[in-house]
Amino acid sequence: MKAVKAVMAISMVNFRGRLEYRADFALGIFLGILWQSSILVFATVLLTRFPGLDGWTRGEILLLVAMRLLSHGLYVMCFMNVSMVPYIVAEGRIDGYLLRPMPVFRQVMLSRFQINAFGDLSVACTIFAVSVPQAGIAWTPTKAGYIAAAVFGGMLMEAAAQTAIGSFSLRGAATSVWLHWVDDLMAAFGNYPLSIFAWPLRSALTFGVPLAFIAYLPAATVTGNTAGTGLPPLIAALAPAIGLAAFIAARLLWHRNLNRYAGIGG
Amino acid sequence: MAEPLPGYRPRTRWSWRVSLLSGVSELSRPVRLTLTLLRTTLLVVLVVGVWHALYSHTRVSGGLDAEQATSYAVLAMLLNQQGGLDRMAARDTVLDHVREGTILYWYLRPVSPRRYHLARGLGDQLYALCWAGAGYLACLAAGVVGPPASAPTGILALVSLGLGQVVLYFLTLLIDLMCFWSITNQNAVFVYRFVYDLMSGSFAPLWLFPAWFQAFAWFLPFQAAVNIPLSLYIGRIPLGVFLAATGVQLAWCLALGALSFFVWRRAGRRVTVQGG
Repeated sequence: MKAVKAVMAISMVNFRGRLEYRADFALGIFLGILWQSSILVFATVLLTRFPGLDGWTRGEILLLVAMRLLSHGLYVMCFMNVSMVPYIVAEGRIDGYLLRPMPVFRQVMLSRFQINAFGDLSVACTIFAVSVPQAGIAWTPTKAGYIAAAVFGGMLMEAAAQTAIGSFSLRGAATSVWLHWVDDLMAAFGNYPLSIFAWPLRSALTFGVPLAFIAYLPAATVTGNTAGTGLPPLIAALAPAIGLAAFIAARLLWHRNLNRYAGIGG
Repeated sequence: MAEPLPGYRPRTRWSWRVSLLSGVSELSRPVRLTLTLLRTTLLVVLVVGVWHALYSHTRVSGGLDAEQATSYAVLAMLLNQQGGLDRMAARDTVLDHVREGTILYWYLRPVSPRRYHLARGLGDQLYALCWAGAGYLACLAAGVVGPPASAPTGILALVSLGLGQVVLYFLTLLIDLMCFWSITNQNAVFVYRFVYDLMSGSFAPLWLFPAWFQAFAWFLPFQAAVNIPLSLYIGRIPLGVFLAATGVQLAWCLALGALSFFVWRRAGRRVTVQGG
């Protein structure tokens, strides 16, 4: 309970701090709305111009896009600060974090309030609400619960990928370019059913960069398009749990690398 | 404080060597070069995969066939790759200098801030273009990208690309100069990058967007760097339309150049130092 109160208090301070720069604050929210809306515009343009991809209907692809955007919006709100780890390390702030009675990872998450998450989530929710009736799925409480679990699993999978990469900054590696690249990769290709790619590429985006687990595999499970995933349907359905497991593994890797942190002075 | 100290004459030869900073820094790290090559190669493969899948049941869309659309998308991706540069990580952006107060030194050096920024920007863009050029030649040899519609078209596309890079530099400069007024410009940078990616045709060829969107984008400066040169290259626009588009590019070069000159002069009067 104390930890929750501390998190809330720190978040409020960060929020008020961001509010001091009013123009930047407004731009931050606008950025979130703009970014997510652009994905929708882009997806709509492609879906209008081209028929469904690899057997996926337009409604199913829209659901896939909506799930990814929702996962990403939650990731931005809760975990995006992990992408700032290289800069936090360079500024020597980890040394101060190590002295405080709070886990370093939590302090990194609380180091900055991500205003654009408001814009991201508002648009993602809107797109999701629009996509649900168009997906052509017979909705049941089980499927609705699965979608919710899949969205959280997608958030955790994206957080796992960024945490794993960012943790190597603690050991002196230059990871900022990789963090941005993985983020761009997920944004650029996470909205497509990965069955459109040949199996080597599909495998790379499933087992290398775990893009498939964020939205594609859960969406394939719900829409019944698991034949093209290259995985047993049960594994595809377990994507939310795999996301959770990946996040736990990433946290363990974070702790391992933090124990080897030597400071920027060497 | 808007000019270097009296008695110093800008040493033109030395100032242009500054443009080598980013490139030399990147080239001195073979691992980074290798990883950049791998990332770019993977992106090319992914882009080709997406566009082949989109055109699997369509012959022509937005006036583009599969080869044109794929060539456009691959070239747009190559142009948008920065070649691995990360001045944020190096704390070498104007934002970092303004926050830390080191922007003061830009006005103390025997090189004017304007020339220093130009030299660094030119160097960064040339470095990125080298990667784009190498990627283009490799894709051309592999048959991923088609050749230009004709040799004169290819040359004109290069000229257009050059004008586009000038427009791109001025846009980047104006975003950087925002820091002198707003202290922070991070979200403005993100908004700019996003608007640029969308309106320049980097996400997808503008020809696929609705007519109203294309008309709107026509008069904005963003498509100067990507859509116009690439559309000419793939043969999507005839010479007459290209000449009109080039006129728009030139107009933006002049307008943005004049605006940036004015803003630089005003920015110099606002140099503030935080805590240092």
